[in-house]
Amino acid sequence: MNRLSRAAAAAGWVAVLLVPSARRDWAEAVWAEAFEVPAGWQRLAWQAGGVRMIAKEAQMVRRTGILLLFAAAAGAAVWGAWPGSRVSHGAAVQGGIIVTVLLLAGLPLLARLVLGPPDSRPARWLRAGFYAAILAVMPAEGAIGLFVGMVPRGGIDRHTFDVIQGPGVPGSSSGGPDWAGQIGILIFTACYLAIILALTARRAPVAPATLAISAGAGLALGAVMYAVAPLGLNFKYPDRPWPPGSAVDTFVALAWVLVFGAPLVSGVIGGLRCHVPDDLGQASVARAWQGLAAGLVSGGVGALFVTVSGSGTTALLVKSAWVRDVLYHGQHLTASAVYGRELYASQDVTAYFALLIGFPLIGTVMGLTGAGIANAIRQQPQRAPEKVTV
Amino acid sequence: MASRREFSPQTLSVLASLCEQPSEWQHGYALARHTGLKSGTLYPILIRLADRRLVEACWQEEPIPGRPRRHMYRLTPDGRAAATAAVAEAEAEAATARVRRGATPRRGGGVAAPGVP
Repeated sequence: MNRLSRAAAAAGWVAVLLVPSARRDWAEAVWAEAFEVPAGWQRLAWQAGGVRMIAKEAQMVRRTGILLLFAAAAGAAVWGAWPGSRVSHGAAVQGGIIVTVLLLAGLPLLARLVLGPPDSRPARWLRAGFYAAILAVMPAEGAIGLFVGMVPRGGIDRHTFDVIQGPGVPGSSSGGPDWAGQIGILIFTACYLAIILALTARRAPVAPATLAISAGAGLALGAVMYAVAPLGLNFKYPDRPWPPGSAVDTFVALAWVLVFGAPLVSGVIGGLRCHVPDDLGQASVARAWQGLAAGLVSGGVGALFVTVSGSGTTALLVKSAWVRDVLYHGQHLTASAVYGRELYASQDVTAYFALLIGFPLIGTVMGLTGAGIANAIRQQPQRAPEKVTV
Repeated sequence: MASRREFSPQTLSVLASLCEQPSEWQHGYALARHTGLKSGTLYPILIRLADRRLVEACWQEEPIPGRPRRHMYRLTPDGRAAATAAVAEAEAEAATARVRRGATPRRGGGVAAPGVP
């Protein structure tokens, strides 16, 4: 035992070097204090705690890594989304990009001060996923915006453009700076970000299990919705890659079920699984919080998933021939027909915003309903065990 | 003024322990024995408290020969005020909860969801 303890002590002094210099005093303090702890298991347990602390403090390096990763991802997103000088509405888009990045960088610091940092794995993953989604949408929207605004020089494509978009100057970009639209999108992004940060903060009354369950349900909803509408949300135009009679109807039915079912089930499970106070009133409030969070997260994650996937697919469609070949495989389309589909798809991408509003709203109602069901289940008087007579 | 909700129950126990002899320097092992916390829990708490300038730390000036110097801790004036307020608030909450539970016996050992009042 003594040998084990001495080996642990020696390893500990080396491990102290892993801790950032500002924290090294503390690591040394744990190790120095180990001499005061009675030798044997107690000292070994003390040293094990020291190792745990060192591992925890060394995560500051990881935090720096996350910061660098965010900076790199944000840089890449800005580079991909930054409009060129030929885009007439470039100033508004540039302003939108800068403010979005500032929001992503600044709001978590504010949330940390007010509500504390995220302290569970589901919370951290949810935040990371949200950040990845926003940063992925930026270049996709940039590419789509450029394609939609570019007026063809002539021929049948020009005619198609005029029919869909209205007349424009050939070879130029159409549309002026849309400041109102950009401000609206920024407010919307800030609201989404604030809700996600609040729900995933330490002081939020939301259990990690609720976040995990509802995020999983939201991903399922998003994946099915993406199968239904991979190129924007408009069922009037024939830009969808699904040939008539394909299995998409099954996905449509499943999507309807999940839109209402995913938050409902998340709310029920979240309400049943969370630990609540003994007081019935407080327990109901705690379950209501789980239902609200379950609805917002499942709806939000579902809507974001389909927005990111659909925008990304559409951006690839207008930029890469191989995506066209994959999506319209087996369909013999003329070049002008492909252009028309690309233009319709690019326009329809904006309709995903309806999902970004609608899904969390439906989710809130259904999640709270689920929490109510969980509450009713838990508050039922427990049946007394049956007496067995021999 | 610091609120009880700013601190976890473990942090509160450390503050309460330091608050008992606010002007005295205390060692980590003594705090661990007093609070029942393990070193892996106690020291991160002390670090956060020191970061918030609620606790001050220093190294022992005259170490015992053959032993490394020990690290010592005590509350700062801010820490003393925060600890007194938070501990008093926690005690009041516990008393209220006891009164509420007085009529119905506590079922199971459920822990409240984080942040649930």
